[in-house]
Amino acid sequence: TAIFVSHTAGVSAPGRPRLTGCRSPEKETFTCWWEPGDDGGLPTTYVLYYHLEGSETVYECPDYRTAGKNSCFFSKNDTSLWVNYNISVVATNAMGSSVSEPVDVDVVYIVQPNTPEDVRVLVVDDDPGPYLHVSWEKPLAADTQSGWITLVYQLRVKETSQDTWEVGTGKEERDEEKEKNERRTEEGEREREEYNAGMQKGYNIFSLLSGREYAVQVRCKPDHGFWSEWTSPAYVQIPDYMLREHSMWII
Amino acid sequence: MCVFVSIDGVSLNDLLERVSQLSDKLHSLSTSLTNDLDSHFPPYGGRLMRPSMCHTASLQIPNDKDQALRLPENELLSLARSLLLAWSDPLAMLSSEANTLPHPERNAINSKTRQLQDQTNSLGAGLERLVHKMGTSSEVLSSLPFNSNDLGHDKISRLVNFHFLLSCFRRDSHKIDSFLKVLRCRTSKMQPDMC
Repeated sequence: TAIFVSHTAGVSAPGRPRLTGCRSPEKETFTCWWEPGDDGGLPTTYVLYYHLEGSETVYECPDYRTAGKNSCFFSKNDTSLWVNYNISVVATNAMGSSVSEPVDVDVVYIVQPNTPEDVRVLVVDDDPGPYLHVSWEKPLAADTQSGWITLVYQLRVKETSQDTWEVGTGKEERDEEKEKNERRTEEGEREREEYNAGMQKGYNIFSLLSGREYAVQVRCKPDHGFWSEWTSPAYVQIPDYMLREHSMWII
Repeated sequence: MCVFVSIDGVSLNDLLERVSQLSDKLHSLSTSLTNDLDSHFPPYGGRLMRPSMCHTASLQIPNDKDQALRLPENELLSLARSLLLAWSDPLAMLSSEANTLPHPERNAINSKTRQLQDQTNSLGAGLERLVHKMGTSSEVLSSLPFNSNDLGHDKISRLVNFHFLLSCFRRDSHKIDSFLKVLRCRTSKMQPDMC
């Protein structure tokens, strides 16, 4: 008979791990992450188990490596849509084990794409002043060509010297309709700039101030899912330009 | 693929664009309705009744990208139509029950359920037009009978059943939307901006 010595120098069974979230970047694979609980002062192993709704068969995580520490990656072959995955994590050490609260996941409800790729900003000379042409590519993993995932894009712009992307006045409520339009403060300074580009992968931004440097970021959202992170900023310098006077010449 | 070449491409694209927009809205609306329901009650209905028990669960559908992309156009379309058809009776029942649902958000739920029913009908009509436009021989649609006349009698079971049916519909509307968007991209290769 095994007898556990309960007074062994402050060691104990592990605390409950906690599943912190799952995400699919392209509706084809997904990853779940967990936070370990207290390890009880002992080497502790973590095993992720899952079963599909309507089935009794329990599987272990197919891949603990690809997505880093405390994660489980489900490849294409391990990913089905429109079915709940019931997932839990079991922590085990020499003193015992504990199991996380189980989580139900349907992959179609956890889609958050990677950031768009290859953001380019071009200054285009024009009358009365130059404008920016911003272009980008879809996230590499997202198969938009086949229609399997549909992405819309959004841009934001700020002067590099400004600290924040958003300088809300507090006077106006934020809502989607307003996000669609650029807004200016009374002084004519740009205040918050989020532009909806729809499904296009290019966008022109007008009326930027002469001689200032701007930062531009892009993000994307699937038809049913969450916004990606913003891309890292692309910087661009607006050349000094004079507003050309529209004078009339009488000959 | 060659089926589409002989047909006026522009209007087929327009039609596909419209049905995709409708199915997109339909799914978003079902999500919004689910959120309204969940706002005051934990979604315990989902725990008791598994989505695998939905009346449409017996329909064989592709459940990943590779399977979906392998399906020919007419099969994608008839899957969407079969699913939509299967929701005609249950949505009618939800509509008639929503205005007496014991829920503090009843008014919002009631009007959204009606919208759901209206949009489903519009989408159904759009898909019928699409069948004609695509010139596909009328496929046999799968029959997915719904054998229930009401949500039950006590408050809890009415809420649980409403929630369960809605979660089934939400999932099915996502399938319909996914299939139609694949169909849209396959037939609109000349518009690279769309896909």
